[in-house]
Amino acid sequence: MSPTADARTRPELRVDRIACTGHGICATLLEGRVRLDPQGYPVVDEPRVPRDVGDLAVRMCPARALYWSDRP
Amino acid sequence: MTGTVDDLVGLLDTAGLTGRGGAAFSTAVKVRAAHDHGAHLLVNACDGEVGAVKDAHVVAHHLDELVRGAVLVTGGRRQRSVRFAAHRGSDTALALHRAGLDVLDVPDRYVSSEETALISLAGGGLARPMTKRRPFVTGGRDQAGRRVPATVVLNAETVWRVAQVAERGPAWFRSFGTAAEPGPRLVALTGAVDRPGVLDTEAGVPLADLLDAARPAHGWEHAVVGGLGGVLLTADEARGLHWTGADLARFGGSVGPGVVDVLDPARCPLGTVTSFLLYAAGETAGQCGPCMFGVPSVAEAWRRLVETPSRQGVDEVRAAAGLLPGRGACRFPDGVGRFAASALRVLEPHLAAHASGTCPTRRSTHRVPHR
Repeated sequence: MSPTADARTRPELRVDRIACTGHGICATLLEGRVRLDPQGYPVVDEPRVPRDVGDLAVRMCPARALYWSDRP
Repeated sequence: MTGTVDDLVGLLDTAGLTGRGGAAFSTAVKVRAAHDHGAHLLVNACDGEVGAVKDAHVVAHHLDELVRGAVLVTGGRRQRSVRFAAHRGSDTALALHRAGLDVLDVPDRYVSSEETALISLAGGGLARPMTKRRPFVTGGRDQAGRRVPATVVLNAETVWRVAQVAERGPAWFRSFGTAAEPGPRLVALTGAVDRPGVLDTEAGVPLADLLDAARPAHGWEHAVVGGLGGVLLTADEARGLHWTGADLARFGGSVGPGVVDVLDPARCPLGTVTSFLLYAAGETAGQCGPCMFGVPSVAEAWRRLVETPSRQGVDEVRAAAGLLPGRGACRFPDGVGRFAASALRVLEPHLAAHASGTCPTRRSTHRVPHR
């Protein structure tokens, strides 16, 4: 698969905003892609994150609020 | 009026009917998915947007067609229930109850009539939005992990239009509107107008014609198109555009749920926007952090800006509003962010006047006494 096709088809990392309680671990693990707002909730600047580090963030989220989605 | 769901989906697809609740998604696609998953139907007649009255209009004047449309969507299958959602105690809820329909009584809160909030309420939960990890038309799970049956939510006007398309045909439907936005559609005119009400009109008409029909107050300066999830426009902007998604998109807006609210020209528009935003701050469901803290902080930043207009104050509102889009389970924060950004754009001259100590509204009302 070419890099461009991969970027288009790869699922995005999403935040279940109701489940999220602002622990901020995602912003630490995904520095440069996820930052925290003034109240400590994540702002996802780049949802197309590499699979391995994304999976780690999904596993480490204490609120189980991160998930992969390929919905538009 | 008989026929298969395939026939109905074909007709809807040819007609190009899209959801009239605001999202403008293909009704054919939704009806197809609802059929494939045996989804229950919720007809949303809540008029959830600020100033919206068209669902009430459909129930009051086209109830027979509305019910026929609902039966068509479910294919008349008993195992696929049909419920009509309306705000508890409203005339619309009363009319639906009187007609012997299965009514979902919805608390009168802004987000309680949002699609996933209705699905939650229908399943015995609270009328609060749920995260849509996948569309609920395929079934899903609520926040506590309980199974949610496959459910499709369609706006009342949309369901009424389904019956019209089935009974009068796609060609009739397409004889209204534009190629991009076909069909007749309702628009509510409200606020500082002599003749408030609902117009059965179509995309492409000059907004000035709709406004003239409602007779806005003399000297009106601003209107909100789309309520709390919409945009503020100057009178010149509003009068210069056609009722199309493309024209409204130039100002960051959309035809949305079809609400045009003319603001009272005798009242400072900064104060009117403050009222909108303070109302919004009290309507967050308090579930998503970016919304429960973000929406009140936009309202608070706006209130500070109006008290002491400054460049820095403008930046603070812009920054707070800019944090809202795409960060809630539902689109409520997106709408508030859009509304606040439009208010900043449109009211910049008004803010500048306040900064130099005068309010243009008061000045003009002093010069020209209000009748």
